[in-house]
Amino acid sequence: MSVDNNKTVTEQRRPDWAALVIAAVLVIMAAVIFFDVSRLRDMGGYSQVGPATVPDWIAFALVGLAVWTVFAAFRRDFPEREKQEIKPVAWVVAGLIAQMVLIRFAGFSIATGCLFGLAAAGFGARRIWISIPIGIVICFAIYWLFAVMLQLSLPAGPLERLIH
Amino acid sequence: MSTFDFLLQGLASAMMPMNLLYALIGVTLGTLVGVLPGIGPATTVALLLPVTYQLDATGSLIMFAGIYYGGMYGGSTTSILLNTPGESASIVTALEGNKMARAGRGGPALATAAIGSFVAGLIATLALAFVAPLVVKIALSFGPRENFALMVLAFITVSSAFGNSALRGLTSLFIGLALSLVGIDQLTGQNRLSFGVPDLLDGIEVTTMAVAMFAIGETLFIAAQGAQAPDKIEAIKGSVWMTANDWSRSWKAWLRGTVIGFPIGAMPAGGAEIGTFLSYATEKKLTKHPEEFGNGAIEGVAGPEAANNASAAGTLVPLLTLGLPTSATAAIMLAGFQQYGLQPGPLLFATNPQLVWGLIASLLIANLMLLILNLPLVGLWVKLLTIPKPWLYAGILVFATLGTIGANPSVFELGMLLVFGLVAYVMRVMDFPIAPVIVGLILGPLAEQHLRRALAISQGDITTLFQSPIAAVLLALAAIALILPLILRLRGRGNVLTQMAASED
Amino acid sequence: MKHFFLASILASAIALPAAAADYSIMAPAAPGGGWDQTARTMQTALQTEKISSKVQVMNVPGAGGTIGIAQFASQQKGNPNQLMVGGYVMVGAILTNKSPVTLKDVTPIARLTGEYEVIVVPAASEIKTVADLVAKLKANPGSVSWGGGSAGGTDHILVGLLAKAGGVDPTKINYIAFSGGGEALAAILGGQVTAGVSSYGEFEGQIKAGTLRVLAISSDKKVEGISAPTLKESGYDVVLQNWRMVAAAPGLSAEQKAAVTADVEKLAKSKTWQDNLKTKGWIDTYLSGPEFEAQLAKDIASTETILKDIGLVK
Repeated sequence: MSVDNNKTVTEQRRPDWAALVIAAVLVIMAAVIFFDVSRLRDMGGYSQVGPATVPDWIAFALVGLAVWTVFAAFRRDFPEREKQEIKPVAWVVAGLIAQMVLIRFAGFSIATGCLFGLAAAGFGARRIWISIPIGIVICFAIYWLFAVMLQLSLPAGPLERLIH
Repeated sequence: MSTFDFLLQGLASAMMPMNLLYALIGVTLGTLVGVLPGIGPATTVALLLPVTYQLDATGSLIMFAGIYYGGMYGGSTTSILLNTPGESASIVTALEGNKMARAGRGGPALATAAIGSFVAGLIATLALAFVAPLVVKIALSFGPRENFALMVLAFITVSSAFGNSALRGLTSLFIGLALSLVGIDQLTGQNRLSFGVPDLLDGIEVTTMAVAMFAIGETLFIAAQGAQAPDKIEAIKGSVWMTANDWSRSWKAWLRGTVIGFPIGAMPAGGAEIGTFLSYATEKKLTKHPEEFGNGAIEGVAGPEAANNASAAGTLVPLLTLGLPTSATAAIMLAGFQQYGLQPGPLLFATNPQLVWGLIASLLIANLMLLILNLPLVGLWVKLLTIPKPWLYAGILVFATLGTIGANPSVFELGMLLVFGLVAYVMRVMDFPIAPVIVGLILGPLAEQHLRRALAISQGDITTLFQSPIAAVLLALAAIALILPLILRLRGRGNVLTQMAASED
Repeated sequence: MKHFFLASILASAIALPAAAADYSIMAPAAPGGGWDQTARTMQTALQTEKISSKVQVMNVPGAGGTIGIAQFASQQKGNPNQLMVGGYVMVGAILTNKSPVTLKDVTPIARLTGEYEVIVVPAASEIKTVADLVAKLKANPGSVSWGGGSAGGTDHILVGLLAKAGGVDPTKINYIAFSGGGEALAAILGGQVTAGVSSYGEFEGQIKAGTLRVLAISSDKKVEGISAPTLKESGYDVVLQNWRMVAAAPGLSAEQKAAVTADVEKLAKSKTWQDNLKTKGWIDTYLSGPEFEAQLAKDIASTETILKDIGLVK
C-alpha cells in the first residue's frame, strides 16, 4: 500500500489522487474477501449465518466506503497534508528490514543493534559506525537482562552464545 | 469468622516485612517485563511464575500478585510515555496519555493512571469480597445473544467517539474488521484469508497490530517530518504532580471507570479492553472539556485505566466463585492456584478461605506497593522523554520489536510489524484515526462468534436475539445511541455534536 | 546505583543457570497453556533431577501447534538436544489445517500425560444418562446444542464419535465452539447449551459442587473418584484420551533416539515429575517405544475418519 503524498495542489477542481488510491485499495480488499470466502458459502450449519456471511457483509461495507471516499476525493474533503520527507522514513524502514534479515543467524543483539543504529540515522544521528556498535552493546545488555535473567526466549547468535 | 475478619487476617499476614519484600520484588520484576510492548500481564505472569515456586504459599502468592500488577502497570507507563501500547487494554490509555506526555504533562498522566488503578483496584476488590455471588449470577445470564447485544452497543458507542470524520473513522473501523477475518474461523475450523500462510492461521495478533500501528507507525510519521519537528520534547510543563484541577477531573472518571470495568470483567466473554473502550467513550461524552479529547484529556487516561484495573478484579469473580477462567490472566491465576494443589471453584471460598482472602489481600498490598514504588519515580520516568530524538526513537523501536520477538520469535511477525507500521504511517498522513482499526480487530470476531453461536443454538431463528430481556434492553440502548445523534443533528444541534466528536486519533 | 539495586534483586530472585546447554524444549503454544505448562514442568523436573544441567523453553504459538511443528521439523533436523511438546489436539489441527508437516516428520518419543473427556449437563437438566441424550439427539439432532472447545478439537471429535456410535449422522450435530474451557463452562452453567464436553479437570470443581452432572467419561475403564460410567459401559464404543507427548527432532540416529528416550523415561519416573503431576491433576499415561508409535498411528487414523465424517476434512 504505497501512496504518494508529496503534492499539495492548490487548485480546487482536481481530485485528491491519494484518496482515490485508498478507495481502490478498499475495493481490492473487498474483492479479496469476497472471493476467498466464496468456497465457504455452504457451511452455515444450524445458524444460517455461516463462515462466509459476515465477511460478505464487511466486503459490501468496504465497497460502500470506497464509493463514499471517491466522492470525498472529488470534493477534496481530505485535510491538507504536511510535506513528508521520505529519506528519514527510508532509514527507519531499512533498519527494520536489516533486523528481520539478520535475526535468524546473527542473533538478537547484532540484528537489533543494526535497527538501533539505522533508526537513529533516520532521526539525524548519521554516524552509524558509532551508533550501530552502541546499539549492539545496548541490545546485548538487554539480552542478558531478559533472556538470561528473566528467561524470555530471544534468538541467540554468535555473540549470545558467548554468555551461555 | 466473617468475610471481613478473613480479609483483615489476610492483610495482616501480607503486611509482614518479609512478605512486603516479596511484593516489592514481584512488582519490580513484573514492571520490567511488563514494559515490553506485546507482552501483557498474562504473559508476564506466565514467564515469571517459576520464580515464585521457591517460596512458601503466602510469599509466592504475594509475589505473584506483585508480578501481575507490575506487568499491568508497566504496560501503561510505556503506553503513556512512548505511545507503545503492547496489549489491548492499554491502547486507550495511549490515546490521551501520550498526547499529555508530549504536552509536558506526562507526570500527571502517570500519576492519574497509578492512583486510578489503585482506587479502582481497591473498590473492585471490596466489591469482589462482598457482592461476588450476586455479580456472578448476572454474569452467567450472559449467553451468546446477550454478549452479541453488548458488542453491538460497544461498536456503536465506541465508533461514534472516534475521529473528526465519519467517513475516515468508519473506514478505519472496517479495515480493522476486514483484518479480523484472517485466520481459522472459530466455529467451523475453516481458514479465511490466510492464503496458505501458516503464520496467518491464528489470525493477526492484536498485540502485534497495536505495536505496529502505534509505535512503528508513529515513529515513521515523526521521522517523515524531518527537521521541521522540534528536536526535543518538553518533558515537564507546569507541575510534575497532579494539580487540584487534575484531581477534580480525575476522581469521577476513576469511579465511572470502576463501575464500567468491574461487571464487564466478570462476564465470561468480556475482556478488559471492552471496558476501557466504553469508559473512554463515556468520558468523552460527559466531559466539560471536549476540545481536549484527542489532545491529552486527563479523564481519557483516568477512566480507562481505572476500568482496566477494575475489570482485572472482575475476572476474579467467576474464577473464585465458579472456577471459570474467563481471560488469559485468569487462566494463569488458575495455574498459580494449582501450584498449591487448589482447584478454584464453587467450593474454594468454603474450603480454603484463608488462601482466597490471602490472595485478595495480596492484590491490595501489591497494588499499594506499586503506588508507593511508582509515584516517586514518576519524575524519573518522565525524564525518559528528554533523551534526544535519534536515541529515543531508536530505543522505542528496539523495545517495540523486543516485545514481539520475545512473545513469538518469528521473522514473519517482524514483517507484519513493518507492513502495518507503513499502513499506519499512510493512515496518519491521510488523517485516518488509528484506534478504530484495533477496535475492529478486537470486537469483530467476538461479535461474529456470539451472533453465530446464538443463531446456532436457536437453529437459525433470528428472533432469539430479542427474546432475552437483557439482550433486548442492550439492543434498544444501542438503537438509541445510534438514532439520537441523528435526531439532534436534524434539529439543528449538529454543531454541538461535531464539537463533541472533535479531533483525535 | 539504581541499576545495581535492581541487579542484586534479580540475582537474589533467580539463581543463575549453569553453563552447559543440554535440552531446549519447544512449546508450540503461547505461555500459560497446557503444552507450555508441560514444557515448563519438564524443564523444572529435568533440572531438579539433574537429568540435564540446563533446559530452555521456547514458545512458538499458533494454529493448534501446526506452526511450531513446521518450524521444528525444518530447523532442528538431526539435532539431538531439541525436544517438542505436542498432543492429541495437534493430530486434529494438522488434519483440519491441511498442514504439510505432520507428526511423521518428527521423532515421537513418548506419551507423558493424558486427560479424559466428560460429557456433562447442568444439574437441573432433565437428561439423566447418555442414553437420554442420544435419544434426544436421534429425535432432532439440531435441538441438542453441544458446548465445547475449538472446532475440530478433542471435544468436537468426541461428540462426532458419540453421534456415530449412537447411529446419528455426525454432520448433523449442532456443535457450538467456544474459545476456551471457561467460556464453554459458563454457557453450560447458564443453560445456554444442552450439554457440555471438555476434559474432566475443567469441570471438576462444578461436578464436586453438584452444579453439573456427569453423564459419562471417555476412558477405557472407570476412573477412581468419578462416579459416572464410561461411554463403553453406557453402550457406546468410544474411548478418547486427550494426551500430551514429547517428540524429538527428525533425522536422529538410533543411538541418539535411544539416549533421548532414556532421558525422557528417567524424567517420567522421577519424583519431581510425579509430584508435579499430582499437584496439577494430570494423569500419568506414560507410554513409549513401539507401543506408543502403534497407538499414535491408530489415533491419527481414527481422527482422520471422524473429522471426515463430521465434514471438517474433505
